Amino acid sequence: MTYFAAADLTLTAALAATALPLAAFAVILLLTRGFPRVSAALSISAITVALVCAGALLVRHWHLAAPLEYSTLWMAGGDIVVRVGFLIDPLSLLMLMIVALICFLVQVYSLGYMAGDPGFARYYAFMSLFAWAMMNLTLAQTLLQLYIFWELVGLSSYLLIGFWYEKFSASQAGKKAFVMTRLGDVAFFIGILIVLVNFGNLSIAELNSARAGFLPPAVITVAALLIFGGIIGKSAQFPLLTWLPDAMEGPTPVSALLHSATMVAAGVYLLARLFPFFSLSPAALQVCLTVGAVSMLLSATMAMVSRDIKQVWAYSTISQLGLMIMGLAAGDYVAGVFHLTTHAGFKALLFLCAGVFIHTCGGNDMFEIGRRGGRHLKIPMICMIVAAAALSGIPPFSGFFSKELILAALAGRPNSIWLAAGLLGAFLTTYYTFRLIFIILFPRGEAQAHADGHHSAAGYRVMAAPLIVLAAVTLVLGFGEHAFGRFLRQGFPGPVPVPGHHTWLPFAALGLAAAAVGLAWFEFGRRGAAQVGFVERVAPLRELFSRRWYIDDVYRWLLDNVLYRVFSALCAKNDQKVIDGAVDGLGGAMASAGRILAVLHTGSIQFRLLVVSVVVVLLGLYYFV
Amino acid sequence: MTLFNILFYAIAALIVVSTGLAVTRRNLVHAVIYLIISFFGSAFLFYLFGAPFLAALMVIVYAGAIMILFLFIIMMLRVETPEEQLFPARQMWPAVAVAAGYLVVGALLAAHDPSAGALLSPAQTEPAVFGAYVFRKTWLAVEVTSLLLLVALIGALFIGKRPIHESEE
Amino acid sequence: MAGIPFGHVLALSGILVALGVACATARRNLIMILLGVEIMLNGAAIAFAAAALRWQQLEGQAFVLFIIAIAAAEVSVGLALIVHLYHRTGSLDPEKFNTLK
Repeated sequence: MTYFAAADLTLTAALAATALPLAAFAVILLLTRGFPRVSAALSISAITVALVCAGALLVRHWHLAAPLEYSTLWMAGGDIVVRVGFLIDPLSLLMLMIVALICFLVQVYSLGYMAGDPGFARYYAFMSLFAWAMMNLTLAQTLLQLYIFWELVGLSSYLLIGFWYEKFSASQAGKKAFVMTRLGDVAFFIGILIVLVNFGNLSIAELNSARAGFLPPAVITVAALLIFGGIIGKSAQFPLLTWLPDAMEGPTPVSALLHSATMVAAGVYLLARLFPFFSLSPAALQVCLTVGAVSMLLSATMAMVSRDIKQVWAYSTISQLGLMIMGLAAGDYVAGVFHLTTHAGFKALLFLCAGVFIHTCGGNDMFEIGRRGGRHLKIPMICMIVAAAALSGIPPFSGFFSKELILAALAGRPNSIWLAAGLLGAFLTTYYTFRLIFIILFPRGEAQAHADGHHSAAGYRVMAAPLIVLAAVTLVLGFGEHAFGRFLRQGFPGPVPVPGHHTWLPFAALGLAAAAVGLAWFEFGRRGAAQVGFVERVAPLRELFSRRWYIDDVYRWLLDNVLYRVFSALCAKNDQKVIDGAVDGLGGAMASAGRILAVLHTGSIQFRLLVVSVVVVLLGLYYFV
Repeated sequence: MTLFNILFYAIAALIVVSTGLAVTRRNLVHAVIYLIISFFGSAFLFYLFGAPFLAALMVIVYAGAIMILFLFIIMMLRVETPEEQLFPARQMWPAVAVAAGYLVVGALLAAHDPSAGALLSPAQTEPAVFGAYVFRKTWLAVEVTSLLLLVALIGALFIGKRPIHESEE
Repeated sequence: MAGIPFGHVLALSGILVALGVACATARRNLIMILLGVEIMLNGAAIAFAAAALRWQQLEGQAFVLFIIAIAAAEVSVGLALIVHLYHRTGSLDPEKFNTLK
């Protein structure tokens, strides 16, 4: 492998990009726990090299005709072969670039955000762990390798959500996130096993090729649905969506990195990765479409009544992921991936801006932030407005272009309910986004002096720089839509569906967006507005949305009555009665047998002589008769 | 019915009867006396089987020394009080059962064995021939036995010592 | 008949051994136990002598010699032990010596 690496620049770059953060993680955890600056320097230098390698790979393979694969044999038995290695094709290179860039920006941002925190070194160690796991996930060549790094990403998420572990709610949130995604991962793994048994190997390139078409349709559908189960868990779709809002207990840069741009996007990435395989099963795609639509609308409603700035963006992430899944499930590969890319940019930006607000105004409540003069922080405010516009699909920002692609794909479906859902989702998205903007821009109540003595000027600069970079990306990325599409379509196995052209669609979407902005302005922005949304006036609806459609309560009920009362009780009973009973019974039986046999120990000489004679008689019987 | 046979069955009956009496006597001295009679019978049996030297040895050593030793000890210990019950049921019945079982097994063995039916014809061994045989073929066992006798002698001396109150081990 | 069947001699020997076992296990006296052992040895000696005659080998008779010698050694030590025990506990009842129950 080393000989290979030296000779091949691509492989070297891929290895360097993925292995260096792991080295940083190990070194920080083992050696430099007590030196926060050194740890940060290690971590950031590792991710910088990774970023450079990712960029170099992207540039070098801009015109990639066919996917490159580097792999070694890992497991082989009979008909079954499992390899590990790297799969270099446009999608993986793109995702690698996204991950590296956002990791880099967030780590730089954390220099300012997490300054003074006692766990500074530990934070950067976990950041490096996440970077390693995520980059290997994107470059994974086989499903098993992907699954392993999927789990590792989940682990680093758990570690980072519960970073401030002294806070009970944070550790609870970490646990909830891990367990819920694990539930999806069980389905994912069963899907992998079904693929392995029926297909013989887990190579992603082979699964996407025409060879997979020879599998029986039922097998493909079942495997696809089970793999989609994993996606539901990881990307927080219905019904496993309540962990993501709780995951906001972690530090804001973590939310920006993991829970908006990269980790939760891994689910959508997997769907895109296996897009040809999923396309073989229209039933599975239909299910994906439904789940995506339901998640999108559900979380949009939840965002409409939330007071916590991070929670709004969390619900928004769920909603946008649902939209991406809808786009992919509707058949447009490029649309889904393009929205993934642009969303990574502006959602990370939104979270980072929120982080600056939280840092300076000392709280998550958006009304508080508004009252404490959050709007006076120029750079975060402007960047947030830019990102919000991108999220709402307002031109010329990147979100407009990507949303249009998805809506066009939805319009191409025979059933127009999906397009209606998409448009409704767009409306609600714009509404809650600008609700937040206007609450911060136009606060009501006492304007308290905002406590901005929490940070230094240098810290503010280091937090502001990534914001500006991301804002620039958001501004520019949309215009690269066609180049993006051309790049992505290279070497795509099978025909790529080209969506039809609906000229009325952009105008309809823009009209809805304008209407939503107007509604938000009417309720929140204009002078004298009550700052109560139309949903919040209806008490049952407000209850429903803020209780997350009672999903958490359903889970609680299931846990208490099914899991604990039935399964746990059964297991406890089994433990006490059967296992302990067996062991104790064995011991008791031994003791009783001993007591019975002890009768022979009379201590009498003549009894022993008798026994000797008996034995002789028996021996005589045995040997000679 | 040759003389050989008649003698054998008569002596065998004597041995069995006297041994049975010896086992069932309450008085220990009587038991030992009956056993001496049994050993005399045994000696005669050995003579019948063509081992006159062994017959002499039985009388001299076994009946003459060992049983006398028994008598010495019995009289020295002055065991006057006989046992409470000669054959307590708890011990007798198991012993009877085992003995019966032993006899059954023995009878089966003897019956099944093909060489059991072989007839013994009278023969005679010269003591000189026997002695030469022992010294030529089994001299090692003789040496070991002599060593064993030495050890028994020392052991008996040591164990039988009357315990002295001032401990001088 | 010309000679004695070998089985009959073995039967005699067996009866003697059975009597010896009965004496050793059923009499509540240490000396009687030892006496039972002597009876058993006697029975074995008879069997060996008869076997020497049956197979016309002198080995059997040599073994009887050793049986007698061994019996002597064993009786001396056994009786010494009995004397010792009698002096220790004043009784010859084997049931009194069951402290290793």
